[in-house]
Amino acid sequence: MSRSDREAILAAVRRGAPHRQPHPGAHRAPALGSGFESFATSLAEAGGLAHGPFAPADLAGCVANLARARADADHDADGDNERIVASHRAAELLGSEPGLLLETASPGTRPHDYANVRVAILSGEVGVAESGAVAVSGADTPERSLLVLSRHLILLLPAAEIAADLHRAFAALPDDTLAHHHLTWVCGPSKTADIEQTLVYGAHGPLTTDVVVFRGNCGHDPR
Amino acid sequence: MRAPPLERRARRVLPNDAAVARHDAAVYDLRRRRDAAAARVPDWEALREHARALKHYSLDHLDTLLLRFEKRALAAGADVHWAIDAAALCDIVGGLLEERGVHRVVKSKSMLTEECALNPSLARRGIEVVDTDLGERIVQLAGEPPSHIIVPAIHKSRAEIGALFHEKMGTPAGETDPERLTRLARRNLRQHFLQAEAGITGANFAIAETGSLVVVTNEGNADLGMSLPPLHVACLGIEKLIPTLEDLPTLLRLLARSATGQAQSAYTSLVTGPRPGGSLHIVLVDNGRSRLLADPTHRASLACIRCGACLNTCPVYRRAGGHSYAPPIPGPIGAVLAPARGAGPESDALPLASSLCGSCSAVCPVKIDLHEQLLAWRGEAPQMGLGEGTAIRLAALVLRHPTLYRRAGRWLRRAWPLLSRRWPGNPVSGWLRGRELPAHPGPSFEERMRQRGSSQ
Amino acid sequence: MRVALFVPCYVDQLAPDTAMATLRVLESVGCEVHYDPEQTCCGQPFLNLGALRETRGLAERHAARFRGFDAVVSPSASCVATIRAHYPKLGLSGMLPARTFELGEFLVRKLGRTQLGARFPRRVAILQSCHGVRTLGLARASELGPAGKARAGPGTTEQLLNQVTGLRLVTPERADECCGFGGAFSLKLPEVSARVGRARLTALQECGAEVVTGTDTSCLLHLEGLRRRLGFGPEPVGLAEILASGIDP
Repeated sequence: MSRSDREAILAAVRRGAPHRQPHPGAHRAPALGSGFESFATSLAEAGGLAHGPFAPADLAGCVANLARARADADHDADGDNERIVASHRAAELLGSEPGLLLETASPGTRPHDYANVRVAILSGEVGVAESGAVAVSGADTPERSLLVLSRHLILLLPAAEIAADLHRAFAALPDDTLAHHHLTWVCGPSKTADIEQTLVYGAHGPLTTDVVVFRGNCGHDPR
Repeated sequence: MRAPPLERRARRVLPNDAAVARHDAAVYDLRRRRDAAAARVPDWEALREHARALKHYSLDHLDTLLLRFEKRALAAGADVHWAIDAAALCDIVGGLLEERGVHRVVKSKSMLTEECALNPSLARRGIEVVDTDLGERIVQLAGEPPSHIIVPAIHKSRAEIGALFHEKMGTPAGETDPERLTRLARRNLRQHFLQAEAGITGANFAIAETGSLVVVTNEGNADLGMSLPPLHVACLGIEKLIPTLEDLPTLLRLLARSATGQAQSAYTSLVTGPRPGGSLHIVLVDNGRSRLLADPTHRASLACIRCGACLNTCPVYRRAGGHSYAPPIPGPIGAVLAPARGAGPESDALPLASSLCGSCSAVCPVKIDLHEQLLAWRGEAPQMGLGEGTAIRLAALVLRHPTLYRRAGRWLRRAWPLLSRRWPGNPVSGWLRGRELPAHPGPSFEERMRQRGSSQ
Repeated sequence: MRVALFVPCYVDQLAPDTAMATLRVLESVGCEVHYDPEQTCCGQPFLNLGALRETRGLAERHAARFRGFDAVVSPSASCVATIRAHYPKLGLSGMLPARTFELGEFLVRKLGRTQLGARFPRRVAILQSCHGVRTLGLARASELGPAGKARAGPGTTEQLLNQVTGLRLVTPERADECCGFGGAFSLKLPEVSARVGRARLTALQECGAEVVTGTDTSCLLHLEGLRRRLGFGPEPVGLAEILASGIDP
């Protein structure tokens, strides 16, 4: 019975938890590179690709080309995996780009409805130069399945939001970052090396992950 | 005396020298990658110390952290359950699934659920659990336990996996290309994800301050399992609690680098409360952890973040293989945690199966003194065979008396030619399995000094 | 400086040449060396087996016999490690742990000596014994990542061998991987132990070593046993014997 287990566990834990150890405080990591180059190198090692940094005016065009390129190069996809879906924020950042037929993710979509998405375009909060990771939160992508179901992922990231390391990246997140159900750090595409240590991308999630970095303000960036 | 269980099991795999060499090379490669990743982090050793201190603080305040976590998780809309042992976990999860008429479940990697034998328990209730981590799926289909905590099927060749997939998933016969096999598994498992009624995950960490769970994968399978089915069940050991969000980066920076040499895993997901339209049930599991917590010598083993670095560096694990250990966890951390479980002689003998080289302690991201823990277990539960206790007391007696010691030494040298040959009952027969005795050593140093002294 | 020669039981019985060479090396650098013929065992084999009562009895005896010296020097890193790392835990207080040294460690770090006039024109590899590296810190363990104040540079054994005339140092792959001895481990899990040892011997062979030396005589005896059985591998020679090669007999 869970209730009595709870009391028993807490009682047992108290016996072994004398509250004597001090908290070590924050760790101060030496400041390493936080520029686009560092980020791009790290992301490449993780199997992803960084693009830019682009001026705001060029962002939408680049993303459009990239999305089309990823979609067209995917010969493995079934015929009905053709949708290109952008999160609300990503769509705002891109403005209206002629030639890119994309859907904006609508709230209340059933998670399974994203099963036939070929390319997802989402907006990242913060990037990490030491790993190439980008944080995507529920504020941008409330329906998380979009992140992992799509065959290809494109993340938009402001250059100013690239932090040197994970300590600084976490510190740079908005205060309410965990209030939107999820905060997901994406570092390159889905991958596995479970079969004879051979690296394969797209184990379950996206086969490719691109991060398009842009300078300055774009569209109606709410941040 | 009968050889310890690990030696007996290892004797079945050691004759296949090629397979042993392959396993050793594949696993050591992970150690090399770890080294390369660590070398690029200027504050690596400081980070390890910080992680050690964070974990020890967390364990030292675990009651407070558990209560805070429960409160915040409940406020975020999750349900929180407490399971005192494996049976309780199985009961709670089984009950949750049965209540909802769930029959199709996907599960991502969780050593805790292995420890508690959750899958068999659910199977007995008619609930099919599909392990979605590719390595776990492979061993699940093969009906084997995982042989490594990060790469569960590292002991299997592509040919074996291809044959297994052909038999169990209907993939083309003779397909052995890892990329194509992975794609085939992706397609097969995608269907399971889309049809699943519940997703079971573990958690790498749980943040008390926010009531959040942290789940780390490279495949993204946990994310599919958490975001598609309406029910998410997260099972975690109580030792996974950490105080605040700020404490997380240190542990994350060490985790992937220690496990596979990556700077960060592909997906590091922090979830707080259920997904929109779904429900989240968190099960906090004790199963002996609170008892370990109260043990001053061994509580450090609760700091483990399940990175597998100790396995990768262990000279014994790399040759003997994961299946030579007792389930669920092999390698040094497995041998350290096993005796605490009271699971019987197979587990109790594991601390003996180590040369105590200390490499594990040196790679552990949270600086658990693994090799000292193994030695301490030997002191607490000496694995003595019949008559061995007497032999040890006799040997100590001889060594406390120089006259007896010197006489024993003379007998040893007289018997040297006899001892050098293999015959039943030879007291050094253990040594002779695989080695010769050195050449006859001649007079002892003490004898030579005595002669030197008397001739001066 | 009053130095006591600590001859572990197994060195006394199975590798007396190493003990003799250790004595000669210490005398050659001007130490007043005392040898206690009543010493027997520091207790390590019993600690290894988990026989704590027997360990304590022998440790107390050892500590009593080695009281009052400025330094206690031994050709066995594992025994030194037992005294340094475990005697305090066994409740043996006192100065002994801080004053017990492996031979090379004593020469390099206590006396500041690396040049001993030794001559050994062979290709030599170091077996980086686990206790020496990871417990005593005689060389920097390969597992360690960057650390601000790390003890950089070659270990004590390498520093000494670098000064031996004609000696060519070669380095095997996985230079500080365990040789598989592990004390009781070699007797209780003999095939696993031998398999680990065979890998070490192979690595030493493949780096072109004619001779292998190190800080722990027990590891060298293990390799010697393997070499005799398997028929390949460099010849184990004690560090003391190499260093003593320049001393007139």
